[in-house]
Amino acid sequence: MSYLEYNVKTVPTGLSKILYLNWPLLVLITAIASVGFLMLYSVAGGSLSPWAEPQMKRFALGVAVMLTIAMVPIWFWRNMAGLAYGVSLGLLLLVEFFGTTGMGAQRWIDLGFMRLQPSELTKITLVMILAAYYDWLDVKKTSRPLWVIIPVILIMLPTYLVLRQPDLGTAILLVTGGGIVMFLAGVSWWYFIAVIGAGVGLVSAVFTSRGTPWQLLKDYQYRRIDTFLDPSSDPLGAGYHITQSKIALGSGGWTGRGYMQGTQSRLNFLPEKHTDFIFTTLAEEFGFVGAFSLLALYALIIFFCAVSAMQNRDRFGSLLTLGVGTTFFLFFAVNMSMVMGLAPVVGVPLPLVSYGGSAMLVLLMAFGFAQSAHVHRPRGR
Amino acid sequence: MTRIPLRPLARVLRARDRGENPDTIERENLRLRHEAMRDRDRTRAEGRLLVLSIFFFAVFAVVGARMGLMASSAGSEPRARAGGAAITAQRADITDRNGRVLATNLSTFSLYAQPPHMVDKERAARELVKIFPDLDEKRLVEDFTGSRKFLWIKKKLSPEQKQAVHDIGDPGLLFGPREMRLYPNGALAAHVLGGASFGREGVHSAEVIGIAGVEKAFDGYLRDPENGSPLRLSIDMTVQTAMRQVLWGGMRLMNAKGAAGILMDAHSGEIISMVSLPDFDPNDRPRPLLKGDAADSPLFNRAVQGVYELGSTFKIFTTAQAMQLGHVNENTLVDADAPMRWGRFRIKEFENKNYGPLLSVTDVIVKSSNVGTAKMALQIGGERQQDFLRKLGFFDATPVELVEAPGAKPLLPPNWSEIVTITASYGHGFSASPLHLATAYSSLLNGGTLVTPTLLARDKVEPGPRIVSERISRVSREMLRAVVVRGTASFGEVPGYEVGGKTGTANKPKTDGRGYHQDKNINTFASVFPVSDPRYVLVVTLDEASDNTGPKPRRTAGWTAVPVAAEVVRRTAPLLGLRPKIEPAEASALTLTSN
Repeated sequence: MSYLEYNVKTVPTGLSKILYLNWPLLVLITAIASVGFLMLYSVAGGSLSPWAEPQMKRFALGVAVMLTIAMVPIWFWRNMAGLAYGVSLGLLLLVEFFGTTGMGAQRWIDLGFMRLQPSELTKITLVMILAAYYDWLDVKKTSRPLWVIIPVILIMLPTYLVLRQPDLGTAILLVTGGGIVMFLAGVSWWYFIAVIGAGVGLVSAVFTSRGTPWQLLKDYQYRRIDTFLDPSSDPLGAGYHITQSKIALGSGGWTGRGYMQGTQSRLNFLPEKHTDFIFTTLAEEFGFVGAFSLLALYALIIFFCAVSAMQNRDRFGSLLTLGVGTTFFLFFAVNMSMVMGLAPVVGVPLPLVSYGGSAMLVLLMAFGFAQSAHVHRPRGR
Repeated sequence: MTRIPLRPLARVLRARDRGENPDTIERENLRLRHEAMRDRDRTRAEGRLLVLSIFFFAVFAVVGARMGLMASSAGSEPRARAGGAAITAQRADITDRNGRVLATNLSTFSLYAQPPHMVDKERAARELVKIFPDLDEKRLVEDFTGSRKFLWIKKKLSPEQKQAVHDIGDPGLLFGPREMRLYPNGALAAHVLGGASFGREGVHSAEVIGIAGVEKAFDGYLRDPENGSPLRLSIDMTVQTAMRQVLWGGMRLMNAKGAAGILMDAHSGEIISMVSLPDFDPNDRPRPLLKGDAADSPLFNRAVQGVYELGSTFKIFTTAQAMQLGHVNENTLVDADAPMRWGRFRIKEFENKNYGPLLSVTDVIVKSSNVGTAKMALQIGGERQQDFLRKLGFFDATPVELVEAPGAKPLLPPNWSEIVTITASYGHGFSASPLHLATAYSSLLNGGTLVTPTLLARDKVEPGPRIVSERISRVSREMLRAVVVRGTASFGEVPGYEVGGKTGTANKPKTDGRGYHQDKNINTFASVFPVSDPRYVLVVTLDEASDNTGPKPRRTAGWTAVPVAAEVVRRTAPLLGLRPKIEPAEASALTLTSN
């Protein structure tokens, strides 16, 4: 249920909206992106090209898009949610049929001036449609099975398409992010317990059946799972990234080797050093102190998102802000765990730092929605 | 859930009585109800948010803790654990005494074909011949089109060849991973290392087995996957290189058909360098000779397998034993009147010289008198002579860690008659390998304790059982020093390093077993340096050497093996860390180099 309608009058208008932006959030975003520029400069061996400069340009563009979105009232975006979701789903289908294959997976649509990754776009449109859905839905109906199935379908549709690409990282982000938004919207605990329980049961069934006559998977499939879960068992194959990044982290120590002094990344031991594994460069050059500082910046962003959501009595704005924060958190958490060998490598960039256009643009758009929700939140009374 | 009624009748009536608008009550209650609802939502949402915050915080904490853990750990290379990924049974490296690699492994690929899966057999054969010109296209086509389901094409591929084969694009041409043995130094130490080849071969791996040298002698150790450390040999790569260069140059200069050199630590028996020329590249071992003399193959290790009459180098054993038994001392005069008659034999000196009836024991060695030595040998007697030579190891194969060693037994005369006693005393009628000689010289001259030759680096040296007294060992060394200073080995002087040694020139026996070649010699120089503090024993042997710089060819060891050995000492002594006793003089007029 929305409370917007009778509070609109107190919302700032015109250019004065800029004063009401969530400035701490903007400052934090810029700070993290700047860390990214520094690292990309370093990874390129002390050069703006080929990564740092395009990244800066994209960030500038992204901030412009974010501010534009922030200026537009949040209720407009609420009405656009369905359309956006539909368009992103359509683009995913388009990729399925006309996409460009890269790195063994089909992900891009080549627009000429940039390559669009619809799976990135889906991350934010899914959050939007879920927030809009729960804003529209009567709170009393939230936990009724029929009204639970609808958002589940909304989540599963893009997830299925993304998995077909295949892009496991994005799929995990979509399912977890969607699930958390549903949880925040107030869907009954029992659904989550049931889903998690079923998942645990399935996994343990698969593993306990190993070696028994009724085993559920073929032997080679188990071996693949083994390597996937514990890449260090195959240091020259699947575990290569992780092995090298672990060495980089260990080599950084507490205070690091100094800016532009990293060895692992600069000597080209690490593939993807400028994208998914950029954190290793940071950890090696700035050590634990640097890495932990970045961790703190990320935590602050999520904290400010949560505060903004708590202040916001508009259900759509509140859920959207939390959804954006959650998505951001998941990006970061999955990437970090993967780089540090806590989780398998699934291909998720470090948000705002990793080189890459789509992810950066989509994240800044997402923060644009959070800013809009913040600016246009109901005030007074 | 108790709800506040929107228009409670009592209050409405009361308000009407007071003349107020009852709608305000309704509005008031509606607001209250909204607020209650909002509060309920709020607390619920806040609860959920709290749960989520805890979860987020936990993730942050785990990531942070992991960061700290990794920052405090030293970056270390992980090792493969999973069965599939493990590199199958890597053969251990072989290093020299200073850890420099002599043999290691290289990952490469083999090429095999599965004809049933091939698409275009003729084209594949054609393309393969383009890449490997040594293959026969006709045979390949026959193999591919025949009934064979599997065949090997190449055992080792270079990366370029592999790419080229890959580019043929035939699904029936497949690669299997191969570990191959690599000897980065090529022919250096070829006979020591021996070589390796593939044993049982599978598609995914092949056994690498040693086929000669230490590779075969230590095959079990090298293949043991439990043993992670390389095999450390006693060889010093730099000394080996210098020795090989000098011997190569000497062999060419002296027109010899072969050369062998052994440098041994006189106290530990460690072989610092062992060279046999001509040699071969163990990366590409030549095939053994099928006919003719095996000793003519470069695979033949002259230093270990070559049993030669080592000639006058043996005389020092006779004098040492005579002194040990108390028959003589270094100054005793012996009758060396030549020729000496013994039954139907006549013992002559070299070039029919005659050193007269009064020759000191030292001069017997210095002048290399056969007659003087023979007299002493007769005094010692055959039994005791055999015992002494047996103790020095001349009756058995050398126990060195090479597969070739046990096959190289000394050639002994069938019965040890008195004439054998005489000829053996100056090294004739009795054949042994240069390694035998180096070992015996070490035992005799290191202070008199027995050494066993070894190719493994030894960290601690236990002195063996005593052979002769320390005094006799010292006197023997001084005699050998006199040989270099004023005797047959004057070219052996290397200023500062106090070389002492004995030459040996023996005619090669004719292959038909009747008598000796007059113009084919085995020239040997066995030396020890420095004499005052014996550290190393060097034996250099040249096969059919002759120095042609003079008016007629000179074939004695003094003219051939000695200058080569001197050059070896000159080049290797600094590498061995020996300091010259005096300032080294300018290089002498005769300097042998390989260039």
